[in-house]
Amino acid sequence: MVDLIFTVISLIVIVPLALFLGVIYSYLLRKLSARFQWRVGPMLRMYGDLKPLLGTTRLLQPLYDILKLYGKETIVPDVSRRRLFVYSPFLSLFFAVAAIFFIPFPGMPLLSGVPYSLIIASYLLIASILFTILGPVASGSPWAAIGARREVELFLVSELGFVLSLFAVAIARQSLVIWEISSGGQSLYLALLTVTAGALMFVAMLGKLHIKPFDMPEAEAEIVAGPYTEYSGKLLGTYYLTKVFLLYGLVALFISLFLPPIATDVLWLPLYIVAAVVLVFLLTSVQVLNPRYRIRNAINWYLKVAIPLGVLNFIIALAIWLVV
Amino acid sequence: MSTEIKILKQVLSKYSKPMTLTYPSGVAPDRRYSQIPEGLRGIPERDKDKCIGCRACYFVCSGRATSIYDKGEKRTVEIFLFRCTFCAHCQEACPEEAIKMTNKFEIAVPNREDPAARVLTELDLLKCKNCGTPYVTRKLVDRTYERLMEKIDPIVKETVSNDYKKLDGYCPDCRRAYGVDLDTHTKKYVWLEGV
Amino acid sequence: MKFETAPDVAEYVKKEIYPDGLEYVPLRENRVIVKVAPGDLTKVAELFVKKFEARLIHATAVDLELKGFEVLHIYDFSKFKDRLVVIVKAIVDKDSPEFPSIANITWQATWAEREMKELLGVKPSGMPDPRHQFLPHEWPNPVESGSIPEGYKFDGSTTAKEMYLPLRMPIEEAYQTLIPIGPYHPGVIEGQIVYVKVEGEQVVAADIKTGFHHRGIMKLIERRGYNKGAFLAERVCGICSAAHGLAYITCTENLYESEVPERALYIRTLLAELNRMHSHLLWVGVVADVIGWKTGFMLTWGLRERVMDIIEAITGNRVNYGIWRMGGVSRDVPQELAEKAKRTVDALREECAKLLLLVADHPVVKSRLIGVGPLTRAQAYDGGAVGPVARASDWKIDVRIDNPPHAIYDPKVISWEVITDDHCDTFGRTLVRVKELLVSCSIVSQCLEYLAKTTGDIRIKPKTVPLGAEAVGLNEAPRGELAYYIRASDKDSSLPHTVRIRTPSYRNNAIIPLMLVGSNLADVPVVMGSTDQCLACTDRLEVIDNRDGGRKILTWDQLVNLSRRASRW
Ligand code: SF4
Ligand code: SF4
Repeated sequence: MVDLIFTVISLIVIVPLALFLGVIYSYLLRKLSARFQWRVGPMLRMYGDLKPLLGTTRLLQPLYDILKLYGKETIVPDVSRRRLFVYSPFLSLFFAVAAIFFIPFPGMPLLSGVPYSLIIASYLLIASILFTILGPVASGSPWAAIGARREVELFLVSELGFVLSLFAVAIARQSLVIWEISSGGQSLYLALLTVTAGALMFVAMLGKLHIKPFDMPEAEAEIVAGPYTEYSGKLLGTYYLTKVFLLYGLVALFISLFLPPIATDVLWLPLYIVAAVVLVFLLTSVQVLNPRYRIRNAINWYLKVAIPLGVLNFIIALAIWLVV
Repeated sequence: MSTEIKILKQVLSKYSKPMTLTYPSGVAPDRRYSQIPEGLRGIPERDKDKCIGCRACYFVCSGRATSIYDKGEKRTVEIFLFRCTFCAHCQEACPEEAIKMTNKFEIAVPNREDPAARVLTELDLLKCKNCGTPYVTRKLVDRTYERLMEKIDPIVKETVSNDYKKLDGYCPDCRRAYGVDLDTHTKKYVWLEGV
Repeated sequence: MKFETAPDVAEYVKKEIYPDGLEYVPLRENRVIVKVAPGDLTKVAELFVKKFEARLIHATAVDLELKGFEVLHIYDFSKFKDRLVVIVKAIVDKDSPEFPSIANITWQATWAEREMKELLGVKPSGMPDPRHQFLPHEWPNPVESGSIPEGYKFDGSTTAKEMYLPLRMPIEEAYQTLIPIGPYHPGVIEGQIVYVKVEGEQVVAADIKTGFHHRGIMKLIERRGYNKGAFLAERVCGICSAAHGLAYITCTENLYESEVPERALYIRTLLAELNRMHSHLLWVGVVADVIGWKTGFMLTWGLRERVMDIIEAITGNRVNYGIWRMGGVSRDVPQELAEKAKRTVDALREECAKLLLLVADHPVVKSRLIGVGPLTRAQAYDGGAVGPVARASDWKIDVRIDNPPHAIYDPKVISWEVITDDHCDTFGRTLVRVKELLVSCSIVSQCLEYLAKTTGDIRIKPKTVPLGAEAVGLNEAPRGELAYYIRASDKDSSLPHTVRIRTPSYRNNAIIPLMLVGSNLADVPVVMGSTDQCLACTDRLEVIDNRDGGRKILTWDQLVNLSRRASRW
């Protein structure tokens, strides 16, 4: 009973917490890439003379941007399939939020202990991304169609890496429950797997989050705003919100799967934050150092890197399973 | 990969400070106009005491920003800054060097009619001694006289000077009418009636 | 410095180049007018283009009121004699202003002839592409130079909708596969439409329509006069304003017996090159942005900002320098400033060299640029490419060497070289621009060195412009050759009768469709960007369909099949 109440409370707490952390991560992403680019970025401490106008800090700038969208008029194109067009962002958000329930946070196991939670979490993440494709397709804009097509292609290959790395870990740890994986111990072999499968997961994350060499679905110079071309106001805001949750979810999943004990006890929290920041920093540096690939190059790259790496992971995982 | 790392090094090593500058006229006094170079060609300003209202700036103005109009006893020389191209043609053309380009640059005002969007100079017009119509400024008459005296052939200087003084302060119409009296006039078939 | 005219230049043209002209009139600075009968225009074009390989600079027409229209073809003959430009003139009747089109002989005249037709209502007969250039396609055809005459019937032979179809496809098909890039598109900041027809992501046909920007600056200069014209000319384009200023001043100074002090010439070169530096940096940034590399964009624009600061300190303005005057420049560069600027420029050169070569070496950048937007030398010549686009196709043309403007570009005084590259693609264009930037840096620092050491006059009062004089002024803008043609009024010595501007983007934009065909949709903005288009100055359509081009014609079903195959791969 106590357990149940704790779980319910933590489920309620995790949503604002995930939102907050997701916003902080996006802030970091923006701030760091700004500093890489010799810009200022959203201010942590506002200039003295602008304080009365803009507040002391702009730490929550990504959130303000989303809130601003919620205050704007929403336009639904005549030619769109109205129902799908309108519901997709919300479904996408719903699945993203549902996915984070299955990913542990230090001190809060949430639902990660349920059987097959790894599979559930990965399916929910996939569902969330699927709805960022379906909605645009329903909008009837050629740009959205091209964007969605690119998104599908990219999604297929990045998903491959994602799934391969998840299951390599699952095989090595002999468990499909995230909680079990993340509370498991570390050994030299497992650390090796963490590096290889972690690298694979990292490149898959690049594709899922549209980090720079793989942001062709949103390539504004080529296809306007890609999938989001026809979206505006609240619907667009919802998509952006989804992105924030996805960012949090993927970072949390990465930490809980590949840096095992960190995501379990509340005492690990500082280390958790450090790991998350490092991960965001890595994502940012990839983001700033690369131009965008053509979709074909990107797929070739994934096939060249993800498949061999995935196969390698499997071999390592199997070896660990059989030997250890 | 190695190129990317080299770029990363470049980016991080030298420029850890952002290049963004704050807007030059921030509220803080130390930041105010800190990045404006000395020679910036900004708003042209006119020295009221030097300006003689000669219209030279009006004729050369490349943006047609300058306009000159007389109203009552005042002549207004105006530069409408929204049209000004800051070309400094007026500065070059002004015979009195009354116009100076300054390095002020903020001309944005909420309203076209705002006086801050204009450089206005009001000059007093000289009233004709004879008929009382205002025509040009006192200074323009004086400067013309001075210039004339500088340039003129010494043989006729005396005569011209005398004549000039006789009709000093007469408007062009009156001067035409009373010019018959002058020594320099040809006086061929014209005489003055009733004077 | 005085600008000399060779005394026997008219005879030379008569003897060596074209013997059967009606009249030969030498102008200042080795420009020669050859008057011919309208029927001979094609013959002359054939001879000049095919035999002499002379470049057509521009084709235009002048309205001579009662005397009729004067058709002008301006050719560059600088290969044969220093600075030689031949202006072929033919007078056509006002009532039936017809003359043969030369676009079939040299493709590059297409846009010029379409423009002529629109601006003046003359009728080049036998044009391969008679559609409108600036005006909307559905505009009544043809346009008259004045108002539409009474009783005039609109040409109803083609409907507006059909005229919109650039690739001459049935209406139903066209709307399904055409992707309009523009008029407002985030990849191309300025307004124009490029229609691309895609199969999957492969471009099979492309077409360009301009005319969203026409501001009538040429007409405005005709109203304002020579002195104020310089400021207007600068405002044709905000990025290459110095190039426009210099070309305009070169042209007006060719109208009268001009003389310009040495120091002013150095200051002009200095500004033109600083302008080129910031324009090329801007371009590298824009291409980085178009291929999605915000960091590259920020870095290059960060460097550009420092060039802008130097310009601001020297001229007092960042964008439109406003220092161009007939007979010199309006503002001197003080010695201390020159020294200070020289130090900055030298430091900047180091950084640019390091950073830009790194950028050009980035593997993803390379994969996005190599082989994209190919343009062979023959295509470049026939299409009339100019500037870095031509030089990246290994065609060594540079107005600064061939036909220098009124500034210092003498290789004996300032050491510099013309950069060419044989990649013939976007990567080549990038390399050319990056290297040119470094060359510009060294020109700038040589000029600053001269300015820091010497003092002197910067301006000589211009003489009155003779009535009816004519001149051509050329300059190498950052985007390529820029040409001004001015004809002085017959009545008023302060007003030009005709001003014609041929901007480099006008030429380079015309060949964009040529480069687009065969590329990937993702590369369309890159290719468009690679010519460094400046639509503010261009503003004008071309159809290239390599599938229709006499080789293969696809039906709709075949297209669908192909596109399905393409998206399956
Ligand atoms: S500012 Fe100079 S040019 Fe203009 S009216 Fe006054 S004196 Fe004449
Ligand atoms: S700076 Fe140029 S545009 Fe402005 S008022 Fe003077 S002449 Fe006119």
